[in-house]
Order: sequence, then C-alpha cells, then structure tokens
Amino acid sequence: MSGGPTRSRGGPSRAPDPWRAPWWLTLLSRLLPARHRQLFVGDLLEESSCFVRPARGAAAARRWLWRHAWRGAVVGLAYRMSGGGMRGASRLPARTRGAAGGGRPGFGSVVQDLRYAVRTLKGSPGFTAIALLSLALGIGANTAIFSIINEVLIRELPLREPGDLVEIYTTEEGGEYSTSSWADYPDVSALTEVFEGVTGYELTFASVDTDEGSQSRMAELVSGNFFSELGVPMAVGRGFTPEEDQVPGRDAVMVLSHRYWRESFGGSTGVIGQTLRLKGRPFTVVGVASERFKGLWPVLTPDFWTPRMMADHFSLFATESSLLDSRGSRSMFMKGRLREGVSVDQAREALAALTERLREIYPEVWDEGETLEALSTLDVRIHPLVDRAVVPVAGLLMAVVGLVLLIACTNLAGFLLARGTDRQRDLAVQMALGARRSRLVRQMLTETLLLSILGGALGVLLAYWVLGVFSRVELPSLITLHLDFGLDSNVLLFAAVVSVGAGLFFGLLPALASTRTDVAPVLKDESGAVAGGRRRAFLRSVLVVTQVAVSLVLLVSAGLFVRSLVNAQSIDPGFHAPEAGMVWLDLSGRYGAEEARVAYRELEERARALPAVKAAALASRLPLGQSVGTTGVTIPGVEPPPGREYHSADITEVSPGYLDLMRIPVLSGRGFDASDVEGSEPVVMVNEAMARRFWPGEDPVGKVIERGSTELRIVGVTRTTKVRTLGEAPRPQILLPLAQEYSPIVAVLARGREPPELVVNRLRGLVREYNPDISLMSGNTMEQHLSLMLLAPKAAAALLAALGSVALLLASIGLYGLVSYTVSRRNREVGIRVSLGADHGDVIRALVGGGVRLVAWGIALGLLLALGATQLVDRFLYGVGATDPLTFIGVPALFAGITLLAAYIPARRASRVDPVEALRAE
Amino acid sequence: MTRRRSLGEFEQLLLLAVLRLGEEAYGVTVRREIERRTGRSVSLGAIYPTMDRLEEKGLLTSCMGEPTGERGGRSRRYFTVLPAGVEALHRARATFLAMWEGLEPDPESST
Repeated sequence: MSGGPTRSRGGPSRAPDPWRAPWWLTLLSRLLPARHRQLFVGDLLEESSCFVRPARGAAAARRWLWRHAWRGAVVGLAYRMSGGGMRGASRLPARTRGAAGGGRPGFGSVVQDLRYAVRTLKGSPGFTAIALLSLALGIGANTAIFSIINEVLIRELPLREPGDLVEIYTTEEGGEYSTSSWADYPDVSALTEVFEGVTGYELTFASVDTDEGSQSRMAELVSGNFFSELGVPMAVGRGFTPEEDQVPGRDAVMVLSHRYWRESFGGSTGVIGQTLRLKGRPFTVVGVASERFKGLWPVLTPDFWTPRMMADHFSLFATESSLLDSRGSRSMFMKGRLREGVSVDQAREALAALTERLREIYPEVWDEGETLEALSTLDVRIHPLVDRAVVPVAGLLMAVVGLVLLIACTNLAGFLLARGTDRQRDLAVQMALGARRSRLVRQMLTETLLLSILGGALGVLLAYWVLGVFSRVELPSLITLHLDFGLDSNVLLFAAVVSVGAGLFFGLLPALASTRTDVAPVLKDESGAVAGGRRRAFLRSVLVVTQVAVSLVLLVSAGLFVRSLVNAQSIDPGFHAPEAGMVWLDLSGRYGAEEARVAYRELEERARALPAVKAAALASRLPLGQSVGTTGVTIPGVEPPPGREYHSADITEVSPGYLDLMRIPVLSGRGFDASDVEGSEPVVMVNEAMARRFWPGEDPVGKVIERGSTELRIVGVTRTTKVRTLGEAPRPQILLPLAQEYSPIVAVLARGREPPELVVNRLRGLVREYNPDISLMSGNTMEQHLSLMLLAPKAAAALLAALGSVALLLASIGLYGLVSYTVSRRNREVGIRVSLGADHGDVIRALVGGGVRLVAWGIALGLLLALGATQLVDRFLYGVGATDPLTFIGVPALFAGITLLAAYIPARRASRVDPVEALRAE
Repeated sequence: MTRRRSLGEFEQLLLLAVLRLGEEAYGVTVRREIERRTGRSVSLGAIYPTMDRLEEKGLLTSCMGEPTGERGGRSRRYFTVLPAGVEALHRARATFLAMWEGLEPDPESST
C-alpha cells in the first residue's frame, strides 16, 4: 500500500463545514481497521452528498448514509475478525464452506457462524428457552446484587481528582476514626503547606415550613468551599462562595439536591432566587447540584446543603456557645485536597503537629490518644468503621449470587454437552470434509456466546425490574431515605463481562469434549456406541452433583436464616404495645426547656383525651429504635470499671404514662407521676439489670446515684427491656422524667381500641392543632418501628430464600434435562425392555436410578460444604446454631423430594413409550 | 514456490471496475460502477480489504489524492490496475470460456 491516508481534516479554521462527519459515523468507522477509517468516512460523505442528495433529496441522503455506514462497518468488522479477505469462492454448501477452508477462515465466517447459531437455537426452542431462563436468573441475580454493592461501595463520586483527596478524622482513644469539631476546622484549613483546601460537612435534620405544617428533611451543613473544592457538578446556578463562609448566621442560602429540586420545584430553572422557610427563616436557593451528585454518603442523600455558618440555626439544643466555637463538640467530617507532591504521610505529620498545638491550648477537650488523622479517600468506601462491617457482608452476598450463577452455567454446560453428543454425527461429517477442530469449536462457541449474551440481556432486564420494586420500598425511619439503585455503566459492564465470561468458559468445555472424536466409528456406527460418550456422561454427572451440592448449601443457609428470623420475632423484648401509634416531633429552635416541659405535659394530656385511647405517653427515644443514648453515672460504693470515671448506662427520658403505655411492669417502688416536676427532688428509675449489677440482693429504691453534678433518687425498678438489639444481653438502663429533663426530639405515643394507623393520624392532627409550627418528623405504628430492627434479618432471610429457591429451580431444571436426555438416548433399550415384559415400575426405577445416585452424592457433598459455610454466617443468627439439626435434616429432605420429582417426570413419560415405535425409530 | 491463485469473483468485479473507470477509480466510483452495471450493492467494508489484498498480490496499485472539501477534508484513494492484474483477468476469463465451450446456449433458441 502506498502510505496511509492523508490526515488533513478540516480544522477549526475552515468555515462552517457542511461535510463534517456526524459523530455516529466516526464511531462506526472505529469498527474498521485504522487504515480504512478515513477512507470509509470520506467515501460515504462524498457519495451521500455529491450523488445521493442531488438525486433523491437531503432526507434520503441521510437515510442512505446511516444504512450504508452500518452495513459497511459490520461487513468491515466481519472481514477484520476473519483475519483477511475472501479466498476463492468455494462450491461447498454455505455451512461447511468456512469450516472446510484450508487456511484462515474464509469470508464472513463470523457472520455465517452467527446465522448458523441463530438457526440452531431456533431449531430447538425448548432447549433455548431453558438455557435462557437459567442464564437470565443467574445473571439477573448477580446484576441486582452487584448494582446494590456498586451503589454503596464501588460507585466513584463525581468529584474532581479524587486521588488527591484525603479523609480527615479525629481519632478517639483506641484509634477509632471519628468525627471532628467545626471549631477545629479553621485550624486544619490553615495547614496550607500540605492542603490546597479543606472542606467540612455534617448531615443534620432541617424542618421546612410548608402549607401543611413543617416537614423534616435531611440537610447537610458544608464549608463555603464544598462545591468548588470538591468539584461538585452543578445542574443550575452556583455553589457557595467564600463570603458565605464568613459571618455566622448571616447568609441564609442553600443548594438543592437534584431529586428535591424535581420533587418540590418541578425541576424549574426559575428556582434560583426563590426561598424556602426553615424554622421560620427564609433561605434563598442559589443552585441545584447535578443529578450525578447524590451527596457524599450512599443512600443518605441530603435534600439541600447550607453553609456551615448557619449551623446554629439547625442545632437541636439552644446553647450559649455556637456550634462553630465549641471545641469539644465533634460532629462533622472533613476532606482535604493534598498539594501537589505532598504525600498522605506528610499530611498525617502536619495533622499530628497541629493536634499537639491544640492539645496545649485546649487540654480539656483533647484527651490523650485523641489525634487528627488522614486516610486517602481512595482507601475509604464509606467510613473505616462502616467499611469493616459492610465489606464482608458484600463479599458474602457476591459469593452467594456467584454460586447461583455457577449453577446456572453448569446447567448450560450440561445441556451443551448433551447436545454435543446429539450432534456427533453432524460434527463428524464436517470433520470428514476437512473442517478443523478449532473451526468447529469456534462455531459452537459462537452459539454459546449468543445464548449467554441474550441471557445476560434478559438478566439485566430482570435485575432492573427487581431493583425498581426494591426502590419503592419505604423504610420506616425518622426521615425519608432514598434507595436509588440504578444500572450505571459499571453495572452494565459487569453484566457484559459475566455474560461473555460465562459463555466462553462454560461453552469451551463442552465444545472441546464434543469435537474430541474419531470420525470413522461415528459415521459407521449407530447411536449406541458413540466414542467418548462415557467421558461426557461422567462430565455431566459431575456437573449435576456440583449443582445439587451448591444449591443445597444455599438452601441450608436460607433455612438457618428463616429459623433465626422466626426466633428473633419470638424474642420477648420486655414491652408489648403492638396497637400503639406514634409521631416524632422536633421542638428545637421553637421551644426552650421551660416551654417544652409545658408542651410535653399538654401533649400527653391531649393524647390521652383522644377518642378510644387508653394510654398515652411521651419518650425521648424508644427501645429497639435508631437512636441510642448513653450516659455516665456514679454509684456510691461501686468502683467504676478500670480506666473510667463513670459507669455507663442507657438513658431514656419519659413522661409519666410511658410504663403503662409500653406495659413495662414496675418491679418495686413506683413509676413517675405528676409530682416529679422541675423543682421537686430529681428522681430516676433503674431497670432490673442495673439493680442486679450494682445492688445485688438489695432493693435499690431510695438509694441515690449521681449523673454529672445532680443527685438522683431511685424511686422504682422496672423490668429490663431490650434496648438496642433483640439479641443483646440485658443492659443497665435508667429512665428520667421528661418533666425534669429536656429533649428536643420526642415521640408522642398512644394506644387504644382503634387500629394503630388511625391513632397515628389522630396524633398528627393533634400536634398540628396544638401548634402548627412544631416540626413533625414521621409517624409510625409500633409494628413499623420494630420492623426496622428486624429489617436486616428479614432481608437476609428473604434474599437467601429467594436465591436458594432459584438455585433449587435451576438444579431441578438441570436434573430434569439430564434424565430426559438419558431417557431419549435409551429409548430403544426401554422399548426392548417393555416388549420383553418389563412393567412401568421397573423401567422407571432403572431410569431414575442414575438420577437418585447423583442426587445422593450431591446431597452428601452439599451437607459437608454447608457445615463449613454456615460457620461463616453464625454471627448473623439469632438463637439458632450453625448446625441446627432441623435445618440440616429438613432442607435436604425437601430437596431430595423436589429433585427426584424432576427426575421422575421424564422417566415416567419414557416408560409409556410404544415399544414398536421406539425400535422402529432407529 | 509461488502458487498462482485464480481470482475470486469479487476480485474480478473490482479489477474490472477499476479498469473501466481509468483515472477516476476510487471508493465511491468503484462502488457505484459495480452497482450500476450488475445491480449488486457492494459494501465499502468489503471493498477496502479486498483492494488491500489485490495490492499485496501485485495486481493493483493505489495512491492518495489531495484532501477535498466534500469529503470533510479527507483524501481519496485512487486505484490503478497493474499489468499483472490485467493478465490475471485475462487468465480468469480464458478459464471460464474454456469451461463454457460447447455449453453456450443456442442464440436462436434463446430468442
């Protein structure tokens, strides 16, 4: 060839160019070898504009270009893949022409293979349907799980050069990474020798005033450089400016999340300059973040961002000192951008030096062992602590769905092996005609790949549907969480790799096995004595045993989780109010402690006066909820644990009606009553677990404990309830009267004869009527409140049960296929047996016998594997051992029943064959 | 040892089209010439690799023209049949005619 094409494209200097190639044409041309691309584009452009357009018009020319570009690109690709051009035209029939060609595969052999594959698959619709179903289930399960993991752990945030970012934490004693203080933020920002910029952010609740009262929303306080420094993409408007980061409380501005913008403003660009009222103060919208930026945390997408200078407006407690100044109050996270050439270690050193300086100035808040630390953002998925818990679960999940895929692929491989045997004679003919083995293998692989890609596409659709259902599930939490699991390019790439990988890997083995054949005996012989048949039969058996074993492992695990869930639901949490409803309120900012106490009393009285209500109460937090409070108490005569100044106990502030409402019995002494108010003697109730630990064998009623500088008189002992989790050992807990304490967030609860949903609505109405400015966070029934606690075990049980069932279905399909196939191979034998007088039972036994042996082997192997595998899930189980006998006997029994049925059905059909027909068929 | 391969049908079509077009033989014109004469729509994706191979065999040569505006500043690749190409075409024709000898339909009966 005389040199490459001249690359003198029309540059920008050329005036508006009517001949510019459309982007899709350039893209399509990439399918051709590099040396043909410019020619291809040039020729097509020239012909469409100089010949087609003058003759047939512009629209026709565009259609012509589109059609010819596609055709040319596909044909070019086929040439490229077949490694060259056309050989002399062969006179062999189209099917064998490519196969019989001596040297490199001939023209269009790829296209030809594809056509052949489509024809074969159409020819056996039953096989195709089952194979596609298997693959779609396997790949669908993998894609769905992967997209969740992708959303939570893998998806990279759309930030500018994330490689330069570090996470900055304040470590607690013991080295645990924790939150930092806004007051320390300016000092960290001042480390300009290592950081180009430092951003701070903190998730918080915000109540938005609407026409129907106020609504709780999730917001994030951020430093002024948050959007610019991180490079957060914006959809409309701007991020915050440095000026908005200067004066506390001055700049009431906000940036909306894309979702909130769409929901509340209909996605109108006129939103800029509009205001939202938060606790009475108008905030001006200055921008909307891009749809790609869903915040820095998975699942927790804030509805809007506001500058940190507005922090005190969101604070739950009206305190003397600003959140921005209190060094000890650590609630925010920081990210720093390293200067060019600065390593994470250098940043760490600078932070350690800063810690020492701060420790000298503020020794009261910087305890020994606490220090500022940096970790590369790329090494942290969510937060080091969370990662440690989440990553193993994610790994376990992927392993489980991987097993399901393995079973699906084993099915596919099994079917292909069987078909390879059927096609033996066909293949032998082609080989006798001189087709190379590699060529035949390629032909069979094309077929498998087509299957696996189609199956993968179906699987992605399936996953999309499942995730859609999943995303609509509402979590019963204080505020609305958005489970937004989409199919992004990562997920699609994953599905594509899995599909193609599965097709190649599981197609290659059967293809090689089927083509390992001596031509002569097959051509001469009848179906009985196929060479290599024994090896293939063995391979198929191995596949079935593997399938049975693997699906048994999944089903046994699912069984354990279901048992554990049943156990968890039957654990007595120590309280019982299933008919109760509740609404959560946020009084912060509107009520000081004094007014709040009045409101607590009045709200409880009004709730009790609701129709059909028998009990009503207020509580700062509820057992088995999301919020847990712990406090330090001093107990005269009992030494605190070594190294500590206090005993720690869980704490809840409640109104007098609480114990009655929750049906928690008072074991000794009394509950709170109207006499326990501010100004009277501070009182406390302790639970039985606390009484036993600190006053064993004694009644603590009347004794005094200290919390901070306050002496609290113990007036009663309650029964111990579960506080954090159902599985926990009894924990010490104290109850304080709300009338002597203050909590900005409280639940108003009531129960009576009416259904809990109605109670929730009545409570909502009551609060609105009492004061429309009170921010209503959420309303739940007690059942919904508790369901969140059981969410994880329920999800695990449901997921494993679903995957286990899919696995069982797949294994049954596999076994059914194997037995049907064996039966079809032994049709003649069955015919002889029947004609010699064998009855149906004998025939069925003979045919199913093989299947039974395989299932037995599979179950034995599966049980062994399950014993090992369930040790891994032991710590997720409630009150059921990892070797629970009921599960280990029940599941295999169920399993054996179903799989044997799968073997029995085709065998029974075979036993009905007409012997004459069967013998004549050969 | 060089084995003389006979020309494939598509190769013959291309060589003949290039011969007919003379100085004006490049992708667009070759494609249109074949389409006009035989009614076969040929794909550019097939023309380029086949031309490459004919060139490798020494039957054809090509050179790049000046960039032109109607191609968005891209160049044409002009083809010329070499003497060996002409010879190969003659040989192919002779082979065919030899095989046809005696099988020609009677001109009188065909009308």
